[in-house]
Amino acid sequence: MSEQQKPAEAPQGEQKLSPAELKKRAKAEKQARRAAQKGEQGGPSQDNAPPNGEPKGQKPSGAPGPAQQKPKVEKQPQKGAHKPSEQDSKKQGTAQQTTMPVRNRRASQSGGGAPREQAKKQENKNVELFSHLYTQPRRQTIEGAPKDVHPSVLALGLQISSYEICGSTARCVAMLNAFKDAILEYNTPAGASLARHLTSHYLSPQIDYLKSCRPISESMGNAIRWLKKLIVEIDPNLPDHEAKNYVCDQIDRFIQERITVADQAIATSASSQIKNGSVVLTYAKSSIVEKTILQSHANGTQFRVIVLDSRPLFEGKNLATRLMHAGLQVEYFPFSGIARAMSDATLVLLGAHSMLSNGRLQSRIGTASIAMAAHRADVPVIVCCESVKFSGKVALDSIVINEVAPSEELLLPPSKTAPTPVKTDDDEEEVKLRGLQDWKEIPNLQILNLMYDVTPAEYIRMVICEYGSVPPSSVPVVHRLVNEGM
Amino acid sequence: MPAPTVGQAPSLNTFLKSLKGTEIETSIELLISLLKRRQIKNSRPCAIATAKLLLQVVAEQRWRSAQDLIKRIRDVGRKLVAAQPREMAVGNIVRRVLGVVREVAEEDQDSTSNIAPESLPGSPAIVGQSLHRPALPSNISGFSPLSHGAALPQNVQTQPQSGTSSPSLDGSVDSPPRRPPMPNAGGSYAGAAPHTSLFGIFQHPQGASPIGTPPIGSGTASPIPKSKKDQEEQKEKLDIKAEVIDGIKDLLEELDIVDKQIAESALDHIHSNEIILTHTSSQTVQAFLTAAARKRKFTVIHVEAYPNDHESTHSTIVNGGQKTGDDAEGDERWKPLTAMGIKVIVIPDSAVFALMSRMNKVILAPHTVLANGSLIAAAGASTIAQAAKVHHVPVVVLSGVYKLSPVYPFDTDEMIEYGDPGKVIPYQDGEFMDKVDVVNPVYDFVDAELVDLYITNLGGHAPSYLYRIVADHYRTEDIDLTSKT
Repeated sequence: MSEQQKPAEAPQGEQKLSPAELKKRAKAEKQARRAAQKGEQGGPSQDNAPPNGEPKGQKPSGAPGPAQQKPKVEKQPQKGAHKPSEQDSKKQGTAQQTTMPVRNRRASQSGGGAPREQAKKQENKNVELFSHLYTQPRRQTIEGAPKDVHPSVLALGLQISSYEICGSTARCVAMLNAFKDAILEYNTPAGASLARHLTSHYLSPQIDYLKSCRPISESMGNAIRWLKKLIVEIDPNLPDHEAKNYVCDQIDRFIQERITVADQAIATSASSQIKNGSVVLTYAKSSIVEKTILQSHANGTQFRVIVLDSRPLFEGKNLATRLMHAGLQVEYFPFSGIARAMSDATLVLLGAHSMLSNGRLQSRIGTASIAMAAHRADVPVIVCCESVKFSGKVALDSIVINEVAPSEELLLPPSKTAPTPVKTDDDEEEVKLRGLQDWKEIPNLQILNLMYDVTPAEYIRMVICEYGSVPPSSVPVVHRLVNEGM
Repeated sequence: MPAPTVGQAPSLNTFLKSLKGTEIETSIELLISLLKRRQIKNSRPCAIATAKLLLQVVAEQRWRSAQDLIKRIRDVGRKLVAAQPREMAVGNIVRRVLGVVREVAEEDQDSTSNIAPESLPGSPAIVGQSLHRPALPSNISGFSPLSHGAALPQNVQTQPQSGTSSPSLDGSVDSPPRRPPMPNAGGSYAGAAPHTSLFGIFQHPQGASPIGTPPIGSGTASPIPKSKKDQEEQKEKLDIKAEVIDGIKDLLEELDIVDKQIAESALDHIHSNEIILTHTSSQTVQAFLTAAARKRKFTVIHVEAYPNDHESTHSTIVNGGQKTGDDAEGDERWKPLTAMGIKVIVIPDSAVFALMSRMNKVILAPHTVLANGSLIAAAGASTIAQAAKVHHVPVVVLSGVYKLSPVYPFDTDEMIEYGDPGKVIPYQDGEFMDKVDVVNPVYDFVDAELVDLYITNLGGHAPSYLYRIVADHYRTEDIDLTSKT
């Protein structure tokens, strides 16, 4: 526990990074340096802002990191300009602030933080415990995307980063389709073979671009691995267009086999678990759970559905709307209503982001709480998951493997009941009431928006995949057979 | 119902302001309507409003006997409780005030005649014990000895006894002023002992019906001391009102300083560099954390309690105790924790399980604490407590004694209140609202086994010990307020 608490030990955390992460970080840094250079040419004048303008009360003295850097603040006022957090850089858009968050983090420890008024806002807003998860900010525009990224992929990236395409399966299918478009327009340069050139020189930038929009899901990873293997194994003598057609056909087959048909199989199998009079509880939105419920409804089973939902994505509302249109009896609970909802439920159906090899389920944040409540109430928990989402990774908690979404997503539009205008009734404190929207200006305040959590295997009664219903302990077996043994 | 003041949304403050000049009946009606409309809600405002109202009720007139006063308070209390049964603080305060009255009455009696206890030799053992019961610790300082905890179980025992007595006896004994039917014959003696009417009634059955059951019939010695007592009592009666008023003022003071008292133990429970998870906005918890923050640095993970309390949670985090406009909460102001150098991390409710493995402590604020150590708290609390249990993170509940209710959770579902579904899905979503049942529970029931420690203004207790505190604070005969005498 102590590591998370002691900021001073952050460097230790760095050492723990996997090689892949280090590579990513290095890349990010390089990019950052370039951006910073560019920025400095643009607007160096900002550095000359008057120093020491900072009211002492505002110094984030509580946060250990900032506290450390305090002594140095006066000495190197200029350096601070390069340490804005990612969100700040996005918001303020000033040229020299485009530093990447990773770099930002390290730099801030080596001493920095401008004494300017702005410096306060640049307090690190990343939650220490999850510092390994704050990589680059999500790309929200196509600006600066590598030239060789195919337009379909460009568009997809934006759709993904804005959650327009959301959900592990949907993202995977959309990615494969975009890759198909991209591959069809690929031409092998002279002197190279498609099998050798396509993956490394053409597909990789596309993948990197997608990763910069949002970290890729396990299903996407599995699909990419499959695709790379497929391409490498293409006979080098095959003519270009034939090879491309072959790849595209194979992609279609993959989608068909591993996702479409798999979904049907799972829906059929899982819908048999829904009996007349069942009360099915589900959380957020999973395409496969939706299919299962609709299938069961189509089979004429009489049952009720409880949808639990959570901030900030409100995916469950979509699911509830669709089920409502299908004529099902639906109840909709906010996340806080778990206890109440669970008292009625007879079955919990969950979707998955990924099934980990130690039998744990990685899924939308909140899933673990639902499974726990179900376990306590002796309600069976069934996970519906295509084998393409099975993963070789293992995780014990939700902290090491996860994704941090921008905190801004958690801010609510100011409502009528929110703090009303400025109220300065006491002379001593002329602080106007602030809302959470101002969180960046408030030292020591952070907002954490995690995407996933990991559900312990003991809460899961059964995993239904297209190969049948297996206990969570069998996940690694299926994974090896299907994703690696192919 | 008269609107309290014009131009302002009715709230605790407007109610308290209006209390002075208004007639007592009007005030009662007003509070009832405020409770019903949820314009006064949450334990503390309800408790304060109730106590202040009862203060007026007591001050309203001269009371000929404590019995009349008890009857009056019970009547008012019953109405208030019926207005909003889930705000158990209302009932708690009414019971506390009743306890004060009974205590005052008993003190009088004790001082005037020591015969009283022996005077009813035949009646169930409780009578003697209850009469001797020491001052109700309205100030909390007085912790009563073990014997008093016995009141509850004994009451249960007596019920069969009352059953054995003849129906006619029962009917006459249960005169409206004094007592709830539930703790039938036995319990009521205790509280009513000092009063003429009571003893008169007892004499009746004895004389009139020889059928009188053994316990009562054997009380031959009683008549004489009783009448003596009556006379003396009337002299003392003058003091009752003043003493009761003092008692209620003590109670109000307790409400006032309860946070401070709880916060005093903060340093005993929070150490440096801890990561503490808390839920919704609670004055008590904030005061507790603030007290610890003066000396130590730690991290607070604040769960926002969407959709019912997230706004106040956010406002507490960002602004501390500065409330907007005429908020129902008290005038207390305090700095936000962030300004004291405490790192505060806001998370949505869904992230609780993911983070729980790194927490050192969970601090919850209850809406109501039940006698068996379980609690009712803002929705989401049970998930937090369960997750904490699973991860072996201690759960600490901070609660003033006034939130402690003598109710046992036989049906937890009925204690849960449902809020406005419009907070979950905006009403603009007409079709969705129409076809989908949108449910928004406001409270959660948290079982006693999920709680590791209660910290009240009396100190720290195991959940299993709470029933004792309940027994110390409420009279058995007052536990059932809702019944028609």
